[in-house]
Amino acid sequence: MNNPAAADTASYNAAPFTIADNVDTALAAMAAGARPIAGGTDLVVGARQGKSPLPTMLVAIDRVPGLAEVRVDEERVVLGSAVTHARLMTDEIVVGDYTALADAAALVGSPATRNVGTLGGNVMNGSPAMDTGAPLVVLGAMIELTSQNGVRLLSPAELWTGPGTTAATSDELCTACILPGRPERSGSAYVRLEYRRAMEIAVVGASASVRLDDSGHLEHLSVALTAVAPTIVEVHSLEELVGRPVDERLLTDVARIASSQAQPISDLRAGADYRSHTVGVMARRAVDAGARRAAGQHIAVPVNRAEGVGRTEQR
Amino acid sequence: MTDTVDTNPVDQSSGEASSSSQRHHRRFVRADGPDKVTGSGRYTADLQLAGMLHAKFLYAGVSSARIRSLDLEAARQVPGVLAVLSDADVPDVRYSPAVADRRLFARDVVRFEGEILAAVAATTVEAAEAAVAAINADLEPLEPVVDAEAALQEGSPLVHEDWASYEADEGVIRSGNTASFSSLSRGDAAGAMASAETVISSRYVADGCHAVPIEPRAVVAQWEGEKLTVWTSTQVPFDARAGICETLGLPTNRVRVVVPHLGGGFGGKCGFHFEAHIAALARAAKRPVKLVFSRAEEFLAPDRRREAMVVELTTGLDSDGKILARTGRLVLDGGAYLADKAFFPQLAAMQATGPYEIPNLDIEAHLAYTNHQPAGSVRAPTAPQGCWAVESHTDELAKAIDMDPVAFRRLNGLRSGSTGPVGQVYGDIGLQDCIDTAISALIPDGDPDDERAGDLAEDEAYGVAVGWWPSFSMPSGAYLKIDSDGKGQIITGAQECGTGAVMTMRQLAADEVGMDPEDFELVYQDTSAAPYDMGATGSQTLFNNGRAVMAAAAQVADQLRQLAADRLEASPTDIVLNDGQASVAGTPAASVPIAELAAEAAGGSLLLGHGSAAEVTYPTVTATCVGDQGMAAWLSPQFSCHAVKVRLDSDTGVARVVSVAAAHDSGRILNRTGALGQVHGGIMMGIGQALTEGTIYDEQGNQRNPMLLEYKLQTAADGPRISVDFIESYPGEGPAGAKGLAEAPNVATAAAVNSALAKLVGTPIRQMPMTAERIWEAMQTARDGDPYQGGSENGTEQQ
Amino acid sequence: MNSEPMDDQTPSESTGGGQPDVSYPLAVNGVRYPVSAPSGALLLDVIRDHVGLTGTKQGCDDCECGACMVLVDGRPVNSCSYLAAQAQGRAVTTVEGLAGAVDLSPLQQLLLDAGGVQCGFCTPGMLMSARALLDSNPEPSDEEVRIGLSGNLCRCTGYDTIVAAVLQAAEHIDATEV
Repeated sequence: MNNPAAADTASYNAAPFTIADNVDTALAAMAAGARPIAGGTDLVVGARQGKSPLPTMLVAIDRVPGLAEVRVDEERVVLGSAVTHARLMTDEIVVGDYTALADAAALVGSPATRNVGTLGGNVMNGSPAMDTGAPLVVLGAMIELTSQNGVRLLSPAELWTGPGTTAATSDELCTACILPGRPERSGSAYVRLEYRRAMEIAVVGASASVRLDDSGHLEHLSVALTAVAPTIVEVHSLEELVGRPVDERLLTDVARIASSQAQPISDLRAGADYRSHTVGVMARRAVDAGARRAAGQHIAVPVNRAEGVGRTEQR
Repeated sequence: MTDTVDTNPVDQSSGEASSSSQRHHRRFVRADGPDKVTGSGRYTADLQLAGMLHAKFLYAGVSSARIRSLDLEAARQVPGVLAVLSDADVPDVRYSPAVADRRLFARDVVRFEGEILAAVAATTVEAAEAAVAAINADLEPLEPVVDAEAALQEGSPLVHEDWASYEADEGVIRSGNTASFSSLSRGDAAGAMASAETVISSRYVADGCHAVPIEPRAVVAQWEGEKLTVWTSTQVPFDARAGICETLGLPTNRVRVVVPHLGGGFGGKCGFHFEAHIAALARAAKRPVKLVFSRAEEFLAPDRRREAMVVELTTGLDSDGKILARTGRLVLDGGAYLADKAFFPQLAAMQATGPYEIPNLDIEAHLAYTNHQPAGSVRAPTAPQGCWAVESHTDELAKAIDMDPVAFRRLNGLRSGSTGPVGQVYGDIGLQDCIDTAISALIPDGDPDDERAGDLAEDEAYGVAVGWWPSFSMPSGAYLKIDSDGKGQIITGAQECGTGAVMTMRQLAADEVGMDPEDFELVYQDTSAAPYDMGATGSQTLFNNGRAVMAAAAQVADQLRQLAADRLEASPTDIVLNDGQASVAGTPAASVPIAELAAEAAGGSLLLGHGSAAEVTYPTVTATCVGDQGMAAWLSPQFSCHAVKVRLDSDTGVARVVSVAAAHDSGRILNRTGALGQVHGGIMMGIGQALTEGTIYDEQGNQRNPMLLEYKLQTAADGPRISVDFIESYPGEGPAGAKGLAEAPNVATAAAVNSALAKLVGTPIRQMPMTAERIWEAMQTARDGDPYQGGSENGTEQQ
Repeated sequence: MNSEPMDDQTPSESTGGGQPDVSYPLAVNGVRYPVSAPSGALLLDVIRDHVGLTGTKQGCDDCECGACMVLVDGRPVNSCSYLAAQAQGRAVTTVEGLAGAVDLSPLQQLLLDAGGVQCGFCTPGMLMSARALLDSNPEPSDEEVRIGLSGNLCRCTGYDTIVAAVLQAAEHIDATEV
């Protein structure tokens, strides 16, 4: 009844499980009450943990051709929402120009999670601990939501309204994340605190986007923090740092500013004080790595496994 | 020679022939290997029986409460439900090994969150879940006892108000919330302490943690008339049978416990757990019933978890740095029921002495009832925490007198002929060899305190710790037969939990009868087929069942020699069994294939053997052992030294173990592949306990992290470089000079990690697991003052 | 206070229930099986209970242990958190699909020889991850093997022997045969 090759537009009203092969089919199913599912990792694990039962109507979007593409659209890069983490961490364009996103994707779960889990799924989960969130913020991404009523673009700050909640309506499908073009001498990175080297969830994390001027001084800096507030938050008041060289003093200031703007909770993963401290450490490391990449230095994805980046001098 | 795992999987020492000099050194072939790599092997959860129902439990969900009422009626009305049971529906029996403090279902009160109130069997999992949800349990919350030290104070609420009325073994010293007490005293500790040149006191606190076998437990029960068969994922099938018989009032010969492949245990699947609940459901429903645990249930419900422990030690040294005296007080969080751990206080006290010469000793250990999940035997119970505490304390002692910590261990550590802390005189033992070997394997110039030694980076340090662990002599039996085609079967009561210990029995039998190990198949894990064995617990399988199998095989070898002697017209004493042939010594041409003899025997008196492990006499001790549970006198003691290199991210406190060198005296090694597997696995489990594995409780005594995302095992990506040496010069009293092995590798790793961290942080970490956050906090504290100069709360005080 | 079945701490074996059945063919190890199961049925449960292959194991509730690893179109997937309905039209491979009719695959044999199998419960998932890794990266480094297997928890071995077996498989055999 659910032949993927012939998702009959007349049948989805009653179909408990539709495999969409184009966006219109997916949107029609969603308008009829179906929830989209790509990898299913968050949705299914959440259901098994009793957080919320699996919806009775689902529409699989992982076979919609356009949604799983990375494409260059004039100055912009369009990341389809069904692009997997495995793709993000190896895609030439992402690794080359939007490295923070590749750093983040490479840290998500396990190889299996990365093969199945998608950017859109991560974004629409709305978790303040999502790894791809902070990179999207600092890279200036806009989130494309599509429904039968049309398309709208939201900034991440507009999209994420609280832990696990978004501004999307139930009939809106996240179809893409749209990234503006990257200027010369820019680099980015995402770093997170991990207690073990794999299978982690962000205790805290930070992403930075850095642009250097001709003399190697800071021309632009954007930093966003993971898991220290109800949503991913962008660090403000960084303007004072512009024009300075990226040195130990600047990194110390970055850490201080980031720590001071964190509003973390204490939970079983970490206490608030420790989170406030370590998010500053993550921020300085992200800025250091982003600046080095901006200067042309190769730091392999993910930065987390590169020893010594942003490390303070031994005391 | 150091064994590291390389890309050559074939044991270098493997030999084709089985000449006596090469016995036990063949390439090891796991009899259960093909099952396990093809997916054809069945584990308990894989079993399906016609008409089988699915079981679910209703748990208390709160750690302490009075049961006002329990209404099962609505659950019984759920479609598809065939049985709903609670305390009123099973025999009125209180059970447990040493103190009968437990019932199958809660009666009147609940004492931990995983306590079972009711059990349901239904045609589908969903119906069983719906029925559990329909049970109306009215619970009145009580103040939970969640702090083991406070539980021992006057006026604490009692976890068991009727503790005094429980039937109990006489040797268990109990009082109120003290579930079991032991002390070890020798010499004049107070007097010697007063005369000591240096006295150091320390306090260490270890959180509880879990065994975490990857297979969540499962049970299937089926009645045929009055006979019960239970398939269960237990490490101890005979213990499980005993529990079923005791709680349901059945004779042993009507209960058959079968263990399909077992997906790991690590102690977590020791003891008797849920077999009787499922058997009772199956009897009530008149259908087979299956229980499969979720991972959360595996974390919350069993009464086997590693005990949290508080260790307070004071040690006095003379002017040469020799230990004069030690006093100590240990408090173990036993949780809501005693389970198997009446002996834990004495074993913990032994760990608090460590493998050192200590002439004056006074250590007391208290096991407290609390409203936490009950603790029980998890791989080397009390040892990883005890060793971590005593070895961290030992480093503090060495530092206080400015002595190299390794030199301190060489000076004070046991050596051949030493009198140990409880007055046991040791024969030839390998502790000193372990120290030398582990250090030279890890550290090129042999000095773990040399900051420039080896390839140490600025953020790295070496740590060294020693550990010890006993072997246990237990009753154990086996049969062996060879049938008409010359193929043999070993029918053993022993339980394979993955270590390969039972798999090794093929080698031992084959060596006795001069055949190839692969001529034998194993019949095991079936209480109705084989004689008793204690199970996969206490590292005892090879130590005891190995001797039983060898004894059974020796009988068959005698039978073969007699048959061959008759055939070859020689004396049985001149017959050599080797390479599948029986031949006359010195006359290789006079030989007959063993298979031919087997065919002959099949028409006559048959080739049948049976054997049991002979009881081994335990050594004597001179210490005064109050609450003696037989854990002070150590048979075939095992020694180990673990040397580690640790890297610390000083900005975050995240520590990583980069490499480990382990040296073990576990006697003769009979199965090198299996032995290496035990050491590697024990080290990784130890690193997990050291850094990331610990139960986090809320204020009400409920576990906050009963899931693998928040209770973090080490992954393949975290693995350090590991090298292993076995010191085989000091044979034990097991088969062919073996000692136990499976638990010993889990003892010293966490201690060695703290030894390294103390150098990087400036103070030892006093709480385990030594999480990044705790290390970071210790770094803040260390920055504020030298903790070795004393005064810090819960820290070291130099007097 | 009413007691509950550990509410959110005791995960359900189902994903909420109530979904209607859907029917579709499911290709597992080259065989097409007719499946009729709730739309929310997990691939793991369908493989074990409907298809009848029990080599794939359930070790946790939250995608954290890897015992349930299978390949879907050659890529590793935790079958405990993947809907069976999503696998229709795709090729599912389980541990039962690794060996030949008689002989073990080289990777299976090497894992046994190296001592990389103890209790065996993680082994099927470990083999599937290793297979996927070698298919996509025939000459992995030690670090790449460790990252590639990092979603598969093993409590017995300490991983070294498993990593060694995978490296040896990569070294000595054509990856298409593993």
